[in-house]
Amino acid sequence: MTQPSVTGNVTCLGCGCACDDIEVVVAGDRIVDARNACQRGRQWFGDGQVPSAIRVDGADAGLEQAVSSAATRLCEAARPLVYLAPGLSCEAQREAVAVADLLRARLDSITSDTALTGMLASQEHGSASATLGELRNRADVILFWGIDLEARYPRFASRYAPGPVGVYVPDGRRSRTVIAMDIGQATATVDSDVRVAIEPADELATLTTLEACVRSRDASNNFASLAERLRNTARELATALLAGRYTALVYDAEPDDRSARTSARFEALASLAQALNDRTRCAAFALRAGGNRSGADSVLVAQTGYPCATDFARGYPRYVPHAGTALDALRDRNVDAVLVVGEPTGIPGNLAASLSNVRTVVIGPHASTAAWGAHGIVIDTGVDGIHASGTALRTDEVPLPLRATLSGQRSTAETIRAVTSNVRRTLQNAHASSPVALGL
Amino acid sequence: MNQLRITGGSVYDPANAVDGDVRDICIEGGRVVASLPDSAPRLDARGMVVMPGGVDMHCHVASSSVNVARRLLPEEHSRHPATAPLLDSATEVPRSGADGTVPTTFTTGYRYAGLGYTTVFDAAVAPIMARTAHSQLDDTPIVDGGFFALLGNDEYLLRLVDSSDRERAREYAAWVLASVGAYAIKIVNPAGVELWKRGTKDRTDLDTALGSRRVTPRAILETLVDAANSLQLPHAAHIHCNNLGLPGNSVTTLATMAALDGRRAHFTHLQFHSYGTTPEGRWRSAAREIMAYLNTHQHVSGDVGQVMFGPATTITADAPVEYLLHKSSGRKWANVDIELETGCGVVPHEYRDRNAVAALQWAIGLELFLLSSDPWRLVLSTDHPNGGSFKSYPELIRLLMDRAYRDEQIGRVEKKLLAGSALTDGLGREYSLSEIAIITRAGPARLLGLRHKGHLAVGADADVTIYVPDDNRATMFATPRYVVKGGVLTVEEGHLRRAPAGHRLYVRPSYDQSVTHDIERYFDQFGTVRFANYPIAGVRGSPLPVGAR
Repeated sequence: MTQPSVTGNVTCLGCGCACDDIEVVVAGDRIVDARNACQRGRQWFGDGQVPSAIRVDGADAGLEQAVSSAATRLCEAARPLVYLAPGLSCEAQREAVAVADLLRARLDSITSDTALTGMLASQEHGSASATLGELRNRADVILFWGIDLEARYPRFASRYAPGPVGVYVPDGRRSRTVIAMDIGQATATVDSDVRVAIEPADELATLTTLEACVRSRDASNNFASLAERLRNTARELATALLAGRYTALVYDAEPDDRSARTSARFEALASLAQALNDRTRCAAFALRAGGNRSGADSVLVAQTGYPCATDFARGYPRYVPHAGTALDALRDRNVDAVLVVGEPTGIPGNLAASLSNVRTVVIGPHASTAAWGAHGIVIDTGVDGIHASGTALRTDEVPLPLRATLSGQRSTAETIRAVTSNVRRTLQNAHASSPVALGL
Repeated sequence: MNQLRITGGSVYDPANAVDGDVRDICIEGGRVVASLPDSAPRLDARGMVVMPGGVDMHCHVASSSVNVARRLLPEEHSRHPATAPLLDSATEVPRSGADGTVPTTFTTGYRYAGLGYTTVFDAAVAPIMARTAHSQLDDTPIVDGGFFALLGNDEYLLRLVDSSDRERAREYAAWVLASVGAYAIKIVNPAGVELWKRGTKDRTDLDTALGSRRVTPRAILETLVDAANSLQLPHAAHIHCNNLGLPGNSVTTLATMAALDGRRAHFTHLQFHSYGTTPEGRWRSAAREIMAYLNTHQHVSGDVGQVMFGPATTITADAPVEYLLHKSSGRKWANVDIELETGCGVVPHEYRDRNAVAALQWAIGLELFLLSSDPWRLVLSTDHPNGGSFKSYPELIRLLMDRAYRDEQIGRVEKKLLAGSALTDGLGREYSLSEIAIITRAGPARLLGLRHKGHLAVGADADVTIYVPDDNRATMFATPRYVVKGGVLTVEEGHLRRAPAGHRLYVRPSYDQSVTHDIERYFDQFGTVRFANYPIAGVRGSPLPVGAR
């Protein structure tokens, strides 16, 4: 047996923390350990084994044939959709946007399903934010708003806050005041100095009152209609937040509980963070889950101007977040072929369910394991960050290198690029016979 | 296309003292050559104006901060869709996008090339975000591009300033540039951005102390300007002074210039730093004072940062300014404090000709241009998209070349604050084509130290723009007939036909390896990115040479 090899400083995409201090131990062709990784991270690395099937309509096929058939089907479609599932490097995401543009397809990512309301709120009103290093090095008052750090971002507390020592918080945890806000079942799982519990029904009123207290300085006469208890909570919170030199609000951009994803809530949180800047400094941190989701937003914004829910049908990107998300289009049967790139297992259940009624091409790690894709074209590829290098963005959009620790798998980015070349050729041949001569 | 002879055009190549002479330009293998065989393909440029490709030394087109702005502006993008160009090439994928004040990446490349610009620099990239800048530049076709690394509020640098360790500060700056593939050192509101992060919203003067009395804007500026010069970087330290946009800030600007007297330094978007105040406390133009200094100090250069009327988007690392703008205009505001390095603020804005301050800003920019005695040291910029879009350069050129047109425009603007402006004294200067060639290509290329750009002598990069003369200079400069980039004919008969990838422009200065031990310790203590993951491997192409050390 070969000696295990260790690669250090590997970035994990198990959640949006994107810890880049993982030591991946490989023995033979398997990952046998991911040191420093949390449970979620270990799960993400797994043993590095992925299937490597290529199938067209259920039958094994060669790569060239599958790529060419994929291009043909996508070109034939009247209303194609390109869907970016989680688990892609920025390089692969850039390739996927290119093919969507060429195909005049719809283009969407998981953002429209899990984080759209918060995204729209920040587009409407702006946002006061920071990268996580400011939270770590500066934040002396931190409000964790109903966020389950332990389950969803396990190393957040020890890597960013409240644990670590920072430049302006020299005693680490002891330099900070930590407030945990529990909203019904949504417990803020963090070691806190103050814990406040409210009912979900009171969340918005609490936030609004809190912002009013922050803005008005003296809110003693306002909000008379609110319950005394709620007013007191808001007043006390306002005092605590304003006591910070650098106050941080930390919440989940994609809470598991869908009822917590309302626009009003995200608007209120973002607005509170902006308001606090009139009297102290404040940054809001809306955390995203794993698989380089922030990368998808960033790549789409750079290339199309919009973070998700985009439609190229008219020859340019249009933003259609209100009725044109992937889910909307599939529900309305306004899609006749879908190119899914990335980890199909990361696709939300409701979307996956509607994919079984449409022609699909799936390119990504574990593509061949998605039951809904079995009747179409599947091309298994390696995992970006395990089998392929590249770039991914942390939840705060800080870019990090992805390191390949295993070899021998197809790269997702290159496979998409091959489809794109085929599509370009097919479309050029189609247009070559019809020159436009206006005779001007 | 390997060879091309551009024949019979009037060539404006001020770096080589060619002023409208009719001559051929021979191109082979992406460079200008002395001659070509008669059989080489020809491009008939008779009656046309031939210039080197345009060079934009200060704009915001490729960074995480530009993306913050792009994301904030869906309503603007939806009003300005950009269809894909009809490219001839079978291998290049033509890309659509969104236009407006902050176009998407591919559209940015197409639009710059469409204006005859072939080199652009993003002027403000946080080193920790540099990977994003590179990937956006990768997606900005045709133009050669690079960026400047923000260092004026960098915590580690400030520590070295505090310990007066200028040598180590220089080595640190070299390490940062080399690690992230940057081209130059950028200083934005030195100490002021860090003060904003610490909760201060006041003005920052040259000797405002940041914690320690040793850490002041003055000390930061001296340290980094000396670093750039001592490292013999091709471009001087690129300085955005303190107190941008505030009335009376010309005092700070002049004090900064005086503090750096005798040193090579570049002062950017000077228009935004040339505001005086009247005894009654009103805004006034201080363009005369600024230009009096610039005109008489050979080591100093600047770009204007002209304001153009219409929509703009303000994007800057000078985050406190954006907070103030948001508060005064009520427009939406995005802020991102970037860990221990810098800030980022974005606010959409509109400059209206009937708004007294906007009219003053517009007038000051023009004054700076018209009072400049050396076009090589004061070059054209709008600080895109802060003062206006790069797409307004042709209109700006018309204002500079056509006095009658300019006077007509002056007649339209609000004059409440224009008393004392040189512009209203009948400043009649008109820029010549040669001077335009200087402020839009030859000058910026020289200030950037790009030896192969901004001119058309043998050995120069074959970046050539060919215009059809027109009395309306805005029309002429908005629609070049041909644009050759690196020897490739990209714009033909006014249409974009090819969109090859551009080259990356960056430096890799050497540094004393022993400084990295302490940097690594600092990363271990306070960083959220591993020291080993900070440098960027595999930046496209090769670095440009740095002077021998």
